Amino acid sequence: MANQEHPAAAASAGTAALALDLRGVDKHFGGTRALRAASLAVRPGTVHALLGGNGSGKSTAIKILAGVYEADAGELSIFGEDHSLSGYTSTTAAAAGLRFVHQDLGLFEDLSIEENFALDAGYPRNAVGGVRWRALHRQVAKVLSEYELDVDPRRPVQDLRPSDRTMVAIARALQGSESERLILVLDEPTASLAAHESGLLLEKVRRLADRGQTVIIVSHRLQEVLSVAHDFTVFRDGRVVGTLVDASPTEDELIAIMAGGLTVALRPTGSASHTTGRPTLEVSGLVSGPIRNVTFTAHEGEILGIAGLVGSGRSSLLHALFGAFVPSTGTMMLGGAPYAPHSVDDAMRAGVGMVPENRVREAAFMDRSVRENLSIAMMMEYWKTKWMPRARETRRAEELIQRFGVKVADPSALFSSMSGGNQQKVVIARWLQREPRLLLLDEPTQGVDVMSRADIYATIRRSAQAGCSVVVASSDMSELHALCDRILVLARGRITQEVLASDVDVDSLTSLVLREPSTRRTIYEPTAFEETRTS
Amino acid sequence: MTNTAAPPTSTPPAPATESVAVVKRTSPVARIFENYALLILTAAVFLFFTFYPPSSAAFPTINNLNVILGSQAVVATIAIAALFPLISGYFDFSLGATAAMAQVLCAGFMANSGWPIWAAIIVPILIAGVVGVLNGFLVTRLHMSPFVTTLGMAMLLSGVTLWYTGGQTIISGIDPAITRFGSTRFIGLPVVVYIVLALAIVAWYFFTHTPYGRSLYAIGSNAASARLVGVRVDRNVWWSFIVAAVIAGGAGVMQLARMGSATASGGNELLFPALAAVFLGATAITPGFFNVVGTIIGAIFVSISVSGLTLSGASGWAANVFNGLALLVAVGLSTYLGRRKRRG
Repeated sequence: MANQEHPAAAASAGTAALALDLRGVDKHFGGTRALRAASLAVRPGTVHALLGGNGSGKSTAIKILAGVYEADAGELSIFGEDHSLSGYTSTTAAAAGLRFVHQDLGLFEDLSIEENFALDAGYPRNAVGGVRWRALHRQVAKVLSEYELDVDPRRPVQDLRPSDRTMVAIARALQGSESERLILVLDEPTASLAAHESGLLLEKVRRLADRGQTVIIVSHRLQEVLSVAHDFTVFRDGRVVGTLVDASPTEDELIAIMAGGLTVALRPTGSASHTTGRPTLEVSGLVSGPIRNVTFTAHEGEILGIAGLVGSGRSSLLHALFGAFVPSTGTMMLGGAPYAPHSVDDAMRAGVGMVPENRVREAAFMDRSVRENLSIAMMMEYWKTKWMPRARETRRAEELIQRFGVKVADPSALFSSMSGGNQQKVVIARWLQREPRLLLLDEPTQGVDVMSRADIYATIRRSAQAGCSVVVASSDMSELHALCDRILVLARGRITQEVLASDVDVDSLTSLVLREPSTRRTIYEPTAFEETRTS
Repeated sequence: MTNTAAPPTSTPPAPATESVAVVKRTSPVARIFENYALLILTAAVFLFFTFYPPSSAAFPTINNLNVILGSQAVVATIAIAALFPLISGYFDFSLGATAAMAQVLCAGFMANSGWPIWAAIIVPILIAGVVGVLNGFLVTRLHMSPFVTTLGMAMLLSGVTLWYTGGQTIISGIDPAITRFGSTRFIGLPVVVYIVLALAIVAWYFFTHTPYGRSLYAIGSNAASARLVGVRVDRNVWWSFIVAAVIAGGAGVMQLARMGSATASGGNELLFPALAAVFLGATAITPGFFNVVGTIIGAIFVSISVSGLTLSGASGWAANVFNGLALLVAVGLSTYLGRRKRRG
């Protein structure tokens, strides 16, 4: 930790040496200031991490670079060439050498890799206008080998493992130009990847940089960013609050800059006193889809973690507990009474709630208001009066927004208008308002920024303290380690390990999970549910 | 070298007024105007034809008002029926044909088979319900595309109806009680208008104040999310097809009561203006979403405009041209509003 780097100082240090230099950018949305005097200086051939919580302005900065938003003021130069920010569009951005790969990769999943390339850059044609398939094939095969992708270009994108799909999107974005004159911007590239997949991807990104590629990476996952980035720019409240050049800060240091303090919530609480309370949920011999013979107990006030890779059956297990899948055999007891939900409705009436893994696809009503997104889980309760109590719904929504620290103007705001972290808080509030005795959380902080994550952890801990039994499934081992009292390791549909969070550290937990598939493979039984195809 | 941030103390938390949680909001006045634009437009069209010389003699009379409201009652009923599947995100193209079938069957059962009036009314409505059960089955159980399924159903029904009538218009042998009912007035307005009003109130209550109605909106927004908050998606969608078809059957009987005769048809002359009304309605009250009040305003708007144009000297083509244009504009507008909502 040394002297402070002012954006202006960085600029004077030699603009020509910078791949990208963004200075003094202001941006207003109506009355709100999204960015003020923001700056970003990226050195060529480095991986530059852009960090900040939701609403910190980092997405706005990226969107200004992409030409989606127009900045109110500011200067931009790319590889020493100045670009006016007024009238700057996505076409300007592309011509200047910026290449964007977003979280949603924009690949055509069921088309072949080579066609995905050709749809972007055009097909090679013969004299009469027909496609020269063999030329395309050679061309794309060459590009893929440059990017260390050992796959047949004729295979459909959906056959690729998730990290390779991202690499294909990157290779496609960079095709056709000299990559030294390009800046690759990765927007949340690992958000939908499991931990080991993002590890593979970031390793490849790092190697791109070693070959001279300039990369800007936006990510919520600090640990991953730390493993790959050379420089860091941290945004908070629309300002740049930290610029770290050629640094290797610790996760805590970064969080401190991002949050401006207050990071205790992300650490384990170190208590495992709830693992022997009264049992809330007793599962025995459960078989459902990929789940084979699972037995466990969750106690009152306990936060129980389910650790497992993609395809281990994490989500299926939670769905079965929530009545969304009906198990083929096995018994469940909830609060001492037999529990055999045949529908989500049954599970809700028994006092169970579930926050699903994919917020956008399985939990959100994007075009409805926050109020409606909250009250949808309370319909039957509200209808007791045979008249939907609009005023009560609104009051309740206001209470919940306050209680869970949701950043939103008022309950009538659209769900889609909020940032991911706030959306997730609303989804969790949707279930906690029912005061469930069992709360199931599937990847509760996926795509959620550090500050919201701290809030969500605190919320989960509070409801556990109030006696709720919480089951958290996650592929993020540090999350499980920080949050849970006890952790079950799930592999190929079976529970293979059970550990107290206080007895392990994150690394040994990770190795427990990673080791499982290979040891299991020796007694591998083919299942009807091959959701492990890509892993 | 390691350069690092300004210490946290130098950047105090931003004051609340400069919150960066960016939410674009339209001003309250603009929002009210947006919500009631269709109503204002309807009033403007009404005033225009009232004072426009070619139509001012015939347009603003009680008689013409009666014709407008009476003829629009059937269309409005089908529009309300169409709301049920549309709100849950499904298109039912067979409602016009279902109504036309019910109209022909009701007339035919009395004229050809000599059934008593109550049976001739109830049985066609039940048959309409069976059509809804079939539509729902094909769409929710066999996962067939709702548009093509109901389009096929519409063709099938109009064919069967044509076969039943043999191409003849059923005009004699219809119990006069039913036509008498169709022309009965109560406090100056046709009784059917009150029936539509009552139906609209029930539908409004259903959509805004029952969990089932609200669940249809949830399904229309995101069916997977709806399922995971305890909504029985397939069952509710299926029921929406059944309820729509039953209401359409009732609309057919109502049409017979008003016309006094029945001819086999595809029912498009009922369905198209109804769809125009529904989509126009989605631009009002709760813009971007189908709703009952907007639908009724849309139905009135369409019929006032067509009546005014006709009285101003436009001939038979006016209705279709206007309905078509209204539907296009309405779909465009409600798509735009809906997309803006989703984008936030």
